[in-house]
Amino acid sequence: MPTSDKTILEVKNISVSFGGVKPVQDVSFKIAENSFTSVIGPNGAGKTSLFNLISGMNKVSSGEIIFNGEAIHSIHTHKIAQKGLIRTFQGAKIIKRLTVAENLMMAVQGNPGDNLSGFFRKKARREFEESARAEALRRLDQVGLSKFADEYAGILSGGQRKLLDLSRALMAKPSMLLLDEPFAGVNPTLVEKLLTVLAQLRKEHAMTFLLIEHDLETVMNISDRVIVMADGKIIADGLPNSIYENELVIDAYLGSRRKDA
Amino acid sequence: MGAFLQPGFWVFVLALAGIYGIFALGLQIQYGVGGIMNFGHVGMMAISGYTIAVLVIKYQWSFWWAAFIGVFLAALLGALLGLTTLRLSGDYFAIASIAFAEITRYWILNTDSVTGGTQGTLAIPDPAGIGGYTTQPDVILTWISDRLYPLFGQEASRDMSMIFIVWPFLILFIWISSKLQQTSWARVLRATREDDEVPRSLGKNVFRFRLQTLVIGSVFGGIAGVFWALQFALLAPEDFLRIVTFYGWMILILAGATRVKGLLVSAIFFGFLYGATRFLEFWPLSLLSSPERAYLRVFLIGFVIVLLMVKRPQGLFGKRDEMVLE
Repeated sequence: MPTSDKTILEVKNISVSFGGVKPVQDVSFKIAENSFTSVIGPNGAGKTSLFNLISGMNKVSSGEIIFNGEAIHSIHTHKIAQKGLIRTFQGAKIIKRLTVAENLMMAVQGNPGDNLSGFFRKKARREFEESARAEALRRLDQVGLSKFADEYAGILSGGQRKLLDLSRALMAKPSMLLLDEPFAGVNPTLVEKLLTVLAQLRKEHAMTFLLIEHDLETVMNISDRVIVMADGKIIADGLPNSIYENELVIDAYLGSRRKDA
Repeated sequence: MGAFLQPGFWVFVLALAGIYGIFALGLQIQYGVGGIMNFGHVGMMAISGYTIAVLVIKYQWSFWWAAFIGVFLAALLGALLGLTTLRLSGDYFAIASIAFAEITRYWILNTDSVTGGTQGTLAIPDPAGIGGYTTQPDVILTWISDRLYPLFGQEASRDMSMIFIVWPFLILFIWISSKLQQTSWARVLRATREDDEVPRSLGKNVFRFRLQTLVIGSVFGGIAGVFWALQFALLAPEDFLRIVTFYGWMILILAGATRVKGLLVSAIFFGFLYGATRFLEFWPLSLLSSPERAYLRVFLIGFVIVLLMVKRPQGLFGKRDEMVLE
């Protein structure tokens, strides 16, 4: 695995509490650049809350988050995204009343047309739009959605929305991608294909992945590390194979299913 | 029904419809593109209109500078409204915006020494004896009506000159706004009307986009106020009641909130509805007194809004999917 030693993301003792509920408690880990890490855990383990903290959607109650050497735990979500740390959402959040292509095109960073001052830079705007659209169509082709390019995204099925959500995140050309259950509800053939796409991105663009998944087997081969969460804490952290043998994990999460198998 | 056929009345209605069209244009970009429900839009019109009256009459400014400052103040107040309340989600912002417009109106009502209070701009202290605020633009209006006289004879009026000023501006603003709505800026804004987490997670400063929209809409509201002030040549606080905002909303909903060009037609349609209620003087409506009948307009317009929401939520020109897709 082409994992470098350089740390891209460091989470230091972060906790968050909402009233009496503490979805994330004293969580720490480091993610190496160009690595592929999966976070697994039962429902309510705090995985999505962890993502919300890293992406700045919720603020940490305590602790620090360092991305590329910069503290990001107290800055706005959009600024974090602009630094190249992009996330997707559980259950695929798409913009239903934009077209499928528009959903993708809005993710491209550095669009001169996103600023009002760009209104008068007509040529720059048009050129940017054209290349963004070409890239959007290429990505749609990759996931078999190109025939829906100019339809409202609201007509897509649940699985197709997932693909759109993932493709949109990739349009932002992130250096690190947080994927929240990207494969739930996607058919197995397509999951295989997506995993290939992710592996390719990792290889060619040195992208780093942190991914939430329910099913360990899906990400077994692609992950070089698995973090297991339960009740807001990390209960295991290691190579995928070692997780299978970890008693704590079996008790907390994999439970009888593994023992029976 | 004699008055129904009087061209002069319809000329007035058409001029007013153009002003309402510009007014609704502000709501269109705020709601149709940005999903911001502004129920206090009339406040922007009141501010720019009154700014002109006060600066010209009380301080002898030129009308043009006063108009510029009026629109600028409307934009500034739009920004202030946004900075203080735009973090509220949809419905709560709508409530705050109504409060904003009402505060503006009550302030005008109760600051007699500046605004003339209940008696309107006629009561603004007039140290130089100017006697009104439209002297400068009236030169232009007269010039236009002189040119119209050979064509329309006695029908060439100040109202008709207003049409020739207001409507080209309305068309120009619609054109600019439709260009603006083709940019990626507007695409981000359309995304925010549905969800703000997605655009935020893609690096878009949603608050900035919303604030910009609110200010742009306020500029259109302010410009409508300039034309309003010009059209009526005097202002009173009751010109700027909440219902005026809802007239703007009706024009918007009629056109289809996302279809800026539809405003041209729906503004005319609104003018017709607005004017036509005056002629509902046949039995049994003739049993009502004339001021009571004026309220029929409010009923009629409310009815049209409800009918549209049920039957054609996309308006006359919008795409249904863009309004109802889940």
